[in-house]
Amino acid sequence: MVQTLTSLGSFGIFCMRLLVRTFSPPWNFPELFRQTWRVSLRCVGPVMATTFPFGLVLALQGLQIFDLYGAQRMLPSLVTTAIVRELSPLLACVLVAAQGGSSFAAELGAMRIKEELDATEVMAVDSLRWHVLPRVLALILACPVLQVIGAVLGLTGAWVMAVAIQGEPSGTFFANLWTFTTPTDVAGSAIKSVVFGALIGTISCFRGYYAHGGAAGVGQAVNDTVVQSVLAIFVFNYLITSALTAR
Amino acid sequence: MIDALSWIGRLGIYCFRLFWAVLRYGVPPRRVVEEAYRIGVQSLPVLLVINGFIGSILVIQGYISFAPLGGQQLVGMFVGLAGVREAAPLMAATMIAAKAGTEMASQIAVMNTREQVDALEVMAVNPLAWLVGPRLLGILLVMPAMTTIAIVTTVVAGWLVAQFQLGLDGYQYFLLVQRTLSPLDLMVAQVKALSFGAVICLVSTFCGFVAPRGPEGVGQATNTAVVVCAVISVSINFLISQVAYGG
Repeated sequence: MVQTLTSLGSFGIFCMRLLVRTFSPPWNFPELFRQTWRVSLRCVGPVMATTFPFGLVLALQGLQIFDLYGAQRMLPSLVTTAIVRELSPLLACVLVAAQGGSSFAAELGAMRIKEELDATEVMAVDSLRWHVLPRVLALILACPVLQVIGAVLGLTGAWVMAVAIQGEPSGTFFANLWTFTTPTDVAGSAIKSVVFGALIGTISCFRGYYAHGGAAGVGQAVNDTVVQSVLAIFVFNYLITSALTAR
Repeated sequence: MIDALSWIGRLGIYCFRLFWAVLRYGVPPRRVVEEAYRIGVQSLPVLLVINGFIGSILVIQGYISFAPLGGQQLVGMFVGLAGVREAAPLMAATMIAAKAGTEMASQIAVMNTREQVDALEVMAVNPLAWLVGPRLLGILLVMPAMTTIAIVTTVVAGWLVAQFQLGLDGYQYFLLVQRTLSPLDLMVAQVKALSFGAVICLVSTFCGFVAPRGPEGVGQATNTAVVVCAVISVSINFLISQVAYGG
């Protein structure tokens, strides 16, 4: 219990130290772009490979509900709202946590274990500013982009299931695609993915930066990163969804 | 591309060798119980939290989507179809991959780094039968139970939100969940659970064995394990759903 509180407290201090460095020069833009490019490239494959089958499954189960009421034309509208509001931010960001977040934790953890971070500190280089901050910001920048890619792939999956496999008319599908989706939904999913990106970035870098205990410590850091960032994503998703839908 | 194909090929060979080793050398039952206990008890809290949030999100989204149709009570059906059939088993598997799978990968990679696997071989103990066999049987033993717990958590969390946050009729909610589902659905969920369990164990331990030695190797093994498990689980989920419900 005390240990949990202590680690929460040091996580807060870590975040504040990062926040101060975010808004004070010098900024390391080349490293930021390099990390953003790297993490987007690494995550885009897994994000596409999971959202597409999920779109297929969503359309498959959705058609079962609407077949009962003969309202198959409602399917694309509801699939779009489900994908835009919940699925694409959640699924894409869980995969970013699994791929990008854990690889950042592994990198920083290995740097800590091999005393590379200590070496940068000895050379009077601020390791938080040069190694950690670009990674956190890279995840914040990459998550919305990956979320949009995930949403497009999810909708493609739904189209493949509904039109190509189950034989619904394609024109009806596209005509009803956006009927229920409001600008609030799109804005909400953008907000979600930015928040999730920030969560993944800070948690993974915190775990990697404070890794200890040799090679086993790196594994432990990666394990903690994945579990805790997925938990945080789901908790914040519930809060943001409730806030957006409150009336 | 060639890398990926050769990776898959080596995974296949690894599975055959594991199968052969387990048949030839047997698996100590005491170790199976140990691993089953570890995997099950460690993943349980995370599993409960995640599936609780899945249930509540499904109910909130179902409520928003079905409110325009005047069918707010249909959320029970929505939870039955989307939650019990798809989301609960899949998220349970993802969380077990994130918690137990990453741990298997990092443990085996650390043992490899410290040359403990070589030491086992020198002592004429087959590392596959001794290290992987118990984990495989253990995870197969606990997966059905974990999935059942996940399903119950999802439905109950959905009920809590429906009754107390949204003010719907709780009795009708349970009635619709019950009417939507058949025993076949629960059996399909168990089939899914067993396949996810086998995939998680085989992929994670394989990643642990093939990782380069040293701290980066441990991080990399853990990272690859969780991503590959998630991607394969989603694809298998689609295949089983298509076979069971696509007809």
